[in-house]
Order: sequence, then C-alpha cells, then structure tokens
Amino acid sequence: MVYLRSLLFLIAGFATGLNAKSSTGDSVLVIVEPKQQDNYSLFLNGLKKQGYDLTFRAPKAEAPVVIEYDDPTFAHVILLASENKVFAKDITPQSLVELLGKKTNLIIALSPKQTPLSSLAAEFSLTLPPPGTPLISYFPKREGPPSVIPVSVPATHSILSENLHPVWFSGVPHSLGNNPLLVPILRAPAESFAAETDGGSPDALVDAAERGGEGLWAGSQLGLVTGFQTLDGSRVTWVGGAAIFSDEYATKEVSKGVPSGNLQFARDVAKWTFQESNVLRIDRTTHNLVNSTKSLEQYTTNDQIVYSAYISKYDSKTSTWAPYSGIKDLQLEFTMLDPHIRTALLPVPGVPGKYSAAFRAPDRHGVFKFLINYKRKGLTSLQSSTTVAVVPPRHDGYPRFLSAAWPYYTGAISTSVAFFLFSAMWLAGDSHEKRAKGHKAE
Amino acid sequence: MAPKSSPPAASNVVHSLWKAYSDQTSDRMKFIDAFLVFLMLSGVAQFLYCVLVTDYPFNAFLAGFSSNVGQFVLTASLRSQVNPENKNEFKEVSPERAFADFALGSIVLHFFVYNFLG
Repeated sequence: MVYLRSLLFLIAGFATGLNAKSSTGDSVLVIVEPKQQDNYSLFLNGLKKQGYDLTFRAPKAEAPVVIEYDDPTFAHVILLASENKVFAKDITPQSLVELLGKKTNLIIALSPKQTPLSSLAAEFSLTLPPPGTPLISYFPKREGPPSVIPVSVPATHSILSENLHPVWFSGVPHSLGNNPLLVPILRAPAESFAAETDGGSPDALVDAAERGGEGLWAGSQLGLVTGFQTLDGSRVTWVGGAAIFSDEYATKEVSKGVPSGNLQFARDVAKWTFQESNVLRIDRTTHNLVNSTKSLEQYTTNDQIVYSAYISKYDSKTSTWAPYSGIKDLQLEFTMLDPHIRTALLPVPGVPGKYSAAFRAPDRHGVFKFLINYKRKGLTSLQSSTTVAVVPPRHDGYPRFLSAAWPYYTGAISTSVAFFLFSAMWLAGDSHEKRAKGHKAE
Repeated sequence: MAPKSSPPAASNVVHSLWKAYSDQTSDRMKFIDAFLVFLMLSGVAQFLYCVLVTDYPFNAFLAGFSSNVGQFVLTASLRSQVNPENKNEFKEVSPERAFADFALGSIVLHFFVYNFLG
C-alpha cells in the first residue's frame, strides 16, 4: 500500500510538473477537521509539491481569519469540512461570497447532511436534494456499498485531462439551474439516483421533488462536481462529497489493475479553480487606420479601421503568460448604444496572440466603443472597451471637383468670363461712342 | 415702349413685338439684353440639370445657380440705371457711376461664388 502511494505520488508529480503555480497567488487555506487531515494527504501534499503554501485550520478555530481588515488573507480556500454544522464566526455563507467578490477562489465540499453550505449552494443555482439522501447506484455490479460509485469522466473536457480513469464518488448530487456562469465538470452516471439511506425520509424526497418541479434527483443531468465562475473572474467549485479528494479513493482500484482517476481529477479541478488552467487575459488592444500605425482618438465616418487585440494565456508550468492564438470565435463589436458593426476577430497567422479585424466605420457620427465581450464556460471572461469618437468629415475633408458637378463649375466660370467680356466690350463701346460724339461735335 | 395704334393679328404679335424692340431699343440696351438672355439660359440649364440629373454636390449647384441669378439682378439694375428713358428717376446716378457699382458688385459676387463652389 505504501509502495503504491509513493508510486502515485511520483506519477502525479511528473504528470503535472513540480513547480506549477497559480496566476493569482499561492497561499491556500484548508479548512478541515485536524483528525481528517491525513485522509487527504495525497491531494494536499500534491498541492504543496507544486509550490502552494498550505495553511490548515480547524472549522471552529478562530485563526487565521479569512478576511482581515477587508482584505482576503489567502488566495484560495479549500473547505473540506463538509459535515460541520457550526463554523467559526468568520466563516459564513456571507463571508464566502465576499471572498469571491475579492477574487479569492474556493473549493467547497458538500455532504448529505444539512449544513450552512448546502443552503449557500442554492445561491449558485445548485439545487440539492433534502438532507440524508446521497447518490446511490447499483451499477456496475461491485463490492461495497451502493453509495460509493465509480463515475466515468468525459473523455474530452476543457478543464480535465484527457482519458481519465473513472473516479470514485460518494456524496450528494445537485441539479443545475440555468445560470450561464455554471461550468459542469462531472455529471452523475445515468443509472444513479438520490435516495434516502442514512436517516433521510422518502416522503421528504418526494415532497421536495414535487416542490422543485424537476422530478426526482436521478440520471445524468445531475451534477456531482460543478464549477462557477463569477463576473469578477474568481472561481468556486462545488463538490458533492469531500471523499472524492481522499487517499482512500485515490488508491482504490476501479476494476482489476485499473487505478482510479481521483488524484488527477482532483488535481485538474484544483488547477482550474486556482486559476492555473483556462486563464486568459487581454494584454493590450490597438486601433488605427488601414495602412497606418498611429492610433487616433477620433475617426471620420467611412474610415477603414483596423482593430487588434493581443491575448495571452497563463502557462502554469512556467508561471508565465504566453501569447495565445487558439480562440476561434472571438468577436469585435463597434457600438454606439447598439452594435453598428459586429465582426469576427480572427487570429493573425504568423503573429502569436494577435487577433485582428478590419472594417469600415459606419456612416454615422457619434461616440463609439470597440467592445470585446468574450464569455465562455470554463474560460476567463475577456472584456475590453475602448472609446473613440467618429466625426463627420471636416470642411476640407470632402471630395472635391466631382465630375457630376462640372455643369455647375462651367456655369459659374462662364458667368465670370461673360462678365469680363461684357465689361470690356461695354467700356470699349463707351470710348467708341465718345469718339463718335466728339466727331459729331467737331 | 409706345403701343401701336392698331392691334395686329394674333399671329403677328410676336413679330411686331420683336420689330418694335429692335427699332426702338438702343444698341447698348440690346447688348445688355443679350447678356441677360445668356445668364437666364445658363441658369435654366443648371436648374434642369439639378432637377433631372443630380443635386450632388448641392453647394456647387447653389454657387453656380446663384452666380447666374446674382449676375442677372446686377445686370438688370445696370440696365435700368443707364437706360436714357429712366434719366429722370436716376438723376444723381451717372452711367459711369452705375457701371462702377455694377462691376464692384459683380466682383464681390464672384468672390463668394468661387468660395462656395468647391
């Protein structure tokens, strides 16, 4: 057993890189009962090896506090004490939400028991079954209780490693609301359902199912592990049971000779939650006229404008930001209240990380904005807004000497020429007359 | 113009009008009238072009058309001031003074026209 553990350690260490770090900070607070701490040693030691700075705290301990002087003390918080009903007074659903608002990332484990955290889950559009009804499944046929379930992991998922072995799960499922900020990570097996095993009542389950209007908690639409990315960019992952991170499940074989995927799964979940993977940012944006490099503060209607954005992705292996050209569906909007132009912002071949679009400014003057608003499940949302003015041409900016206007030009010029001829002939006639008069007088 | 003693036949009205005009008008007045006719035709041509073809650029149309109209007005006032028949009405305005006014007004007009034309 010990041999197997150290082997797994090695594998995990090689697979993930040893000095991987988060893009937002390395301090982690782990809230766990001291006597359960060793149950999660594989997962937690893995985090430590990557360079995270772990601090342990019992759920009822007063220190260290999570928010001190309105400032979050830790960059990430893992709440593994899922069965506790009473926490120290600074750990409340309100303070956890406040932490999210201050860009702290959370991993929160739930349990079939009714705790303050299960009511908080409802605020994130996760609907839990009534207390005492964990997920059970009788398939596939195996030894052990029906509430310990091997769950197969989606083969390709933007957050998880490819081709993970099934993971062991025991805990409570949740049905997902239609909140667009939710990121489903692990779904329940199709043949599983929530049922009363340890002290729950079947009546309560039926009542709750009728009240919820979504039927019983059963089938593959249920979530087991679900992420949530706030509008600020902080991430929280709700886990149906803390046991998914435990050493017991990490070392438990799914079938003969096939190790479980729990450790790597936990690693991937932590990687996403702690802003190591799927983290993007816009380094800078530029805009200028076609065939020019100078950035203008105002453009003229119908100008040809080029807009470029430089996007980087965080590489946790080297703890650096690297240019990233992998986004295929980025869009640029040129808006004045409404988008007057919405166009694809495509990666520029040959320039990593650069996305560019050229378009003609609308024939409409006013204050416009270049807008990028890219929100995809699991990815950092990218937002950028640059305000420019679009003005009508200046008095000398209009085209001149149009061919359509030549009749008018001819009219004006001919009038002038005729005036000069008229004046000349008038004066000539005057002197001629005078001379004639003079002749007559003589 | 003195009216004819006996009314001519309807078909001869235009002919007799033309005859009376060419008989009774001095060469100077005829010369001014020719200029006026030219300005009128030019203005009509531009107006038709504007209505039938295009009024873009509109400022060019306004400049071209108003140069014709303005020149027409100035020339018409020159004509009334230098006409010997109106001598009693413009006693203090000599023909030379009238022409100087006309020339100055025209030059100012053309200055504005070319500014507005482009």
